Amino acid sequence: MMRHVLNLGLRLFLVCAVAAAGLGFTYTVVKDRIAQEEAKRRARAAEAVLSSIQAQPRESEELTALLQPAFPDLLTVFEGLDEAGRRAGYAFVLKSKGYNFITMAVGVDMEGKVTGIKAVSNEETPGLGAVALDSEEYLSNFQGKGPEPLTLKVDVDAWTGATFTSKGITNGVNKALEMWRKLQEGGED
Amino acid sequence: MEEKKRTLWGELRKGFITTNPLLVLMVGLCSALAISTRVENCIFMGLAVIFVLTCSNVIISLIRNFIPDQVRIPIYIVVIASFVTIVDLTLKTIPAVYERLGVWIPLIVVNCIILARAEGYASSAKVSHAFMDGLGIGMGYTSVLLIMSVFRELFGTGKIVLFEKKVIDLHIKAVPMILIMFPGAFITYALLSALLQWYQARKKPGAEEG
Repeated sequence: MMRHVLNLGLRLFLVCAVAAAGLGFTYTVVKDRIAQEEAKRRARAAEAVLSSIQAQPRESEELTALLQPAFPDLLTVFEGLDEAGRRAGYAFVLKSKGYNFITMAVGVDMEGKVTGIKAVSNEETPGLGAVALDSEEYLSNFQGKGPEPLTLKVDVDAWTGATFTSKGITNGVNKALEMWRKLQEGGED
Repeated sequence: MEEKKRTLWGELRKGFITTNPLLVLMVGLCSALAISTRVENCIFMGLAVIFVLTCSNVIISLIRNFIPDQVRIPIYIVVIASFVTIVDLTLKTIPAVYERLGVWIPLIVVNCIILARAEGYASSAKVSHAFMDGLGIGMGYTSVLLIMSVFRELFGTGKIVLFEKKVIDLHIKAVPMILIMFPGAFITYALLSALLQWYQARKKPGAEEG
C-alpha cells in the first residue's frame, strides 16, 4: 500500500518537475521582452497623462527610490519636464485594487492638480470594469482635481456597473496625491 | 466508435462535422460564446487553442503508459496548464494582442475541450492519431468561432475590422445590436447548431460515423 502511494507520488512529481523546468526555460527566454514591453507601456502612459501640461516624461530612479519604501504600490515615477527643461509635474505609475489589479499612471502638476489618468494594464472584467478604465471621457472627470484627497460620489461620480473599478481609480489617484505631498514636504524643490 | 478503423485523415476531418467540439460534443462553449464578438479575437483564440490542444494531446498520448490511473486528471491538468502558460508568456511579448485576449488565455486551462480530448481520446490513442485529433478538433473549434464571429460582428456592428483595417463595411446605421451582446451569442450558436443537425439528418443514415 505504502509503495503504491509512493509510486503515484513519484510519477506525479516527475511530471510536475518536467513541466516546471519547461516553464522556467520559457520564462527566461521571454522575460526581457516582457519587461521591455511593460516599460514601453508605462512610458507611453506617462506621456499621455502629462500631455495636458505639455511636459515630456523622464523616468526618475532617484524619486522612485525615495518614495517606494513608504508606498509599496508605486512602480515607477516619471518627472514631467517642460520645454525649458524645468520640472512641471510628475507621473506616478502605481498599482491599485479595483475588482482585480489595475496598473495606472496618474499625472500631477506642481500645484497638486491631476493632469490626467491612463490605465497601463488591468485585469478588470471586460465589458464592465474595463469599460470605465478605457473611457477617456470618464477619466477626464478626475482632471484638475486635488491636491485634497478625493471622495468617490462627492468629487467624482462612480461609473454605473463598475463601482469597484471607480473606487480603485479614486484610491490610485489619492495615493498619487499623497506621493506628491510627500515630495513637496521632502524639500524637493 | 473507438474500434472503428482510424485513418489519419479521418481523425483530422472528424473535428469539423461529426465530432465538432462546439456543435456536437457541446464542450468549451463558455469561451466561444464570450469571445465571438470580434473576428480578430477569434483568430488568435483559435490559434492558441489549436496549439494547446495539439501539444497536450501529443504529450499525454506519449506518456499514457506512464500515468497511473488514480492521478491521471492532475497530470492532465499540469500538462495543459503548462502549455497555456507558455502561450500566455509568449503572447505577453505582443502587447497589441495580449491587451484584448489577456483574460481569456489563462481560461483555456479550464476549457473542457482540451481536458475532454485528453481523457476521452489521447489517453488511449497512438501519438500520430492524437496529434491529428488535436489539430482537427482545434480547427473545428476555430472554424465555428470564425463563423459565429463573422455573423455577429458583421450584423451586430455593421462592419468587420481586422488589424485596425475595415475589411467589410455594410454602411448601415441601424444594426441589431443584440447580436454583439450576450443574447446574440446564444441565438447565433443555436442557429448554427440547428443548421448542423439539419445537414446531418439529411445525409443517409450511417454514411459517416466518428
